[in-house]
Amino acid sequence: MAVERERMGREMTSFDTLTAAWMVWDGPAPETKGAVLEQTRELNQFLADIERRAFRMAQVALRDPDDALDVVQDAMLKLARSYAARPSAEWRPLFYRILENGIRDLQRRRTVRRRFMTWLPGSKEDPDGEAQDPLDTVAAAGPDVPEQLMQDQAMQKLETSLRQLPARQREAFMLRNFEGLDVAETAAAMGCSEGSVKTHYSRAVHTLREQLGEVW
Amino acid sequence: MSEREETMQPGEAALVERSRVLFGASVEGLDMATRSRLTQARYAALEAAQRGRARRGSRMPLLAPAGVMAAGLLAVALWFGSPLGHHPSADQPTFEDLDIVAASEGPGDTMEMLQEDPDFYAWADKASNNEPEA
Repeated sequence: MAVERERMGREMTSFDTLTAAWMVWDGPAPETKGAVLEQTRELNQFLADIERRAFRMAQVALRDPDDALDVVQDAMLKLARSYAARPSAEWRPLFYRILENGIRDLQRRRTVRRRFMTWLPGSKEDPDGEAQDPLDTVAAAGPDVPEQLMQDQAMQKLETSLRQLPARQREAFMLRNFEGLDVAETAAAMGCSEGSVKTHYSRAVHTLREQLGEVW
Repeated sequence: MSEREETMQPGEAALVERSRVLFGASVEGLDMATRSRLTQARYAALEAAQRGRARRGSRMPLLAPAGVMAAGLLAVALWFGSPLGHHPSADQPTFEDLDIVAASEGPGDTMEMLQEDPDFYAWADKASNNEPEA
């Protein structure tokens, strides 16, 4: 009996030793130099592929190009720092989840700032330039390219309508339609169920159709 | 036809398609300054990821042996601290005995008492051992 207890005690001690040693190092498995290089190349390719669309989507949501660039850069950093070791198939939904969180945070901060500004005397103008004429942001187009101008104006209308959508509907519409994510990927990016994605998307399309009309 | 388009009303599919085309055109029409800033942001992200990886890599060779050493010390402490590892014999002084000695008025008191009347203490010890149980 005593021998048995002693044996059990020894086994428990060696188990504790292994557990403690494992807990000290909780990072990913050591990588070879070639694997790291390949991963970096793949991540670079992924980010290069999505960065412009991500920027435009952020710009649609935030209006301000500098803010849009900030949230995109932040999303890139967070993805590269925290999720680069994850399978590349997961990067897109992860990236857009980070991006949408960043957009939401910024919009929340803006709302707080706007409320605060209304308390200050002589600050009636919108601090975010919300009163700006949408046509002011249309890219400069020469008189010889009316088609381009019409496209820009149509895009401005679309952006204005998208901004008026509830945030979740806008996210669902842009992720599915602009980024081409499927329902499951969109659900992962938005952090909701696939059923919710379908509902948000359907409502977004319906509302946009009503707002933009037949001739748009 | 995708599941999304199956449930669309007439005209909605056209809206979706047009919005996709317009968005694509707006992405293509981004100015060079913005493209350049996006490229810089991407390189900064990749660089940060590599710095983080290097930091983790440089920390690991120090942490792994340190962890093994700490675990070894813990194992030794557990082994000698457990009742399985070490049993003090009856004739060895225990920590309680040391406490009694340490709790006396001074370090020299006990020895002085023994030197004063050794016969008395020998008798007292013998008497306590031979005392019948009540």
